[in-house]
Amino acid sequence: MRPRERVLRCELSGEELHRHVERLYGKEALEALAGYIPLYCSGGFTEVYLLSQQLLDAVRSLMSSGRVPYYSGLYAGRLRTRRPLFIPSHLLIEKLYDRLGKPVRAFAASEQGIKVLMYGKDLLKESLVSCYEPIEVGEVVSVLGPDRRVYAIGLSEISRCSELDRLSRVQVVARTIFDLGWYLRGGTIPREPKYRV
Amino acid sequence: MGGRFDSLLKDVGRRISESIDREVRGIASRYGYLEYMISRYREILGGISNVVEMLEAYEKPLTRSIRVNTLRFSDVSEVVDRLRALGYELSKISWEKFSYVVTRQGKVPPGATHEFLLGGYYLYRGVASLIPPIALNPYPEDRVLDNAAAPGGKTTHIAQLMGNHGLIVAVDVSRERFRALRTNLERMGVENVLALRADGRRVPEFFGAYFTKALLDAPCTGEGIIQLDPSRKTKTTFEDLVKARVRQVQLLLATVRATVSGGRIVYSTCSIAPEENEFSVAEAIEVAGNVRIVKPDLPVNLDPGVTEYFGVRLPEELKFCGRTYPHKHGTEGFFVCVLEKGS
Repeated sequence: MRPRERVLRCELSGEELHRHVERLYGKEALEALAGYIPLYCSGGFTEVYLLSQQLLDAVRSLMSSGRVPYYSGLYAGRLRTRRPLFIPSHLLIEKLYDRLGKPVRAFAASEQGIKVLMYGKDLLKESLVSCYEPIEVGEVVSVLGPDRRVYAIGLSEISRCSELDRLSRVQVVARTIFDLGWYLRGGTIPREPKYRV
Repeated sequence: MGGRFDSLLKDVGRRISESIDREVRGIASRYGYLEYMISRYREILGGISNVVEMLEAYEKPLTRSIRVNTLRFSDVSEVVDRLRALGYELSKISWEKFSYVVTRQGKVPPGATHEFLLGGYYLYRGVASLIPPIALNPYPEDRVLDNAAAPGGKTTHIAQLMGNHGLIVAVDVSRERFRALRTNLERMGVENVLALRADGRRVPEFFGAYFTKALLDAPCTGEGIIQLDPSRKTKTTFEDLVKARVRQVQLLLATVRATVSGGRIVYSTCSIAPEENEFSVAEAIEVAGNVRIVKPDLPVNLDPGVTEYFGVRLPEELKFCGRTYPHKHGTEGFFVCVLEKGS
């Protein structure tokens, strides 16, 4: 088997992040990115980070010595060549929601539903509390807890909130591709990929 | 590097061997330690009754603290209330505004609560590990180096003290530990860290003298956390300690070089061994020539650093370094020393 390529190359130019944020969350959401400079690091994947000015200076200094950071600033998410083309991080999504003042592309789940998600399970209709459009089948959707924080990111199985009416209580409404429990499962499920897509 | 201190430590090693007597053998056998360790504890603590008190304390579980992650959850009391509802008894640590001592654990261990799983409500640690970031005293406008940073408990603490502003460069060489560092940064919502996987001894090559503050929580033999790793009672020889010191001194010298004139450097370990604490600091000061120990303005009472050890006199200012012991402070054994770089 071919070993996975390591992160070797980072660039401080590119518009992709802004394009995807605008496409998914609208023009107003871009205001949340003001003052940050995106850093694109490619190896096996393309990961995007948002840098403050002070971080930018340090990253430039480091890159001028031929090294690249392993991680820097705010982790914004992963760019992909297939759908979903961009998987935003929970940190970025929360920042966007703060700016927008409301969630979009989201399902809110019950406390019990969130507990189940933390073990990598999908979101079932019975755990759903509310639905926030727009949503698209196969596109990223965030799963919020009762405190309105993002606990998981999934791919929606429906394209309108009204479609929920025709689903049974045990049908999946979002296929989870990342949940916060992943951070702590490292020891029990070695090498579980970060995004299950 | 190392010549004078190598020979000093050779003398120390010889004297330790000579000092092993019946009293030392008896205690070592009773508690399952290597004899040379007990002899050193008697030298550091000044009497066998103090040694026994410390060994007894090492037999008890480590007192934990939780540090509420205010980067994601601004309401500290909400997190505390949630833990109290789970049966936890928590007591506020007066000198650290986000932290509490766990005086009684709830039914679920701190690493398995829903609040912990949910991503970053809090971090749990030994109480003494809160001291180095406090001693560093970082401000939002600082450029901080956290050398040997993984798994990132202190990095995230520094980020919290800086309100997620300014810059922290977190460096570590271990691939496995680096994954843990990244995980902690992400789940705690840290935004002001540049994490670099590299040998910490090479930091000045990448940045020059750049940092206004620097922490080196040096890789050590863990002689202060025997509560967590009882195998440490027998697994480390005196020669291992002397060997560990070589890398600690190299890392400290690199950290000093990476710091601007007037910058503050904090050296710490979770070890009570003078060989990897006072000796490492003393050697780095002598070799660097432009750094001095300063008396830290800490809100917590620590024991002074060791200045005489098996007949070897160390620089007097090492008394300004601080030590914690499990039987005296109710924490893990810990060492912290604040240095300032001159011009």
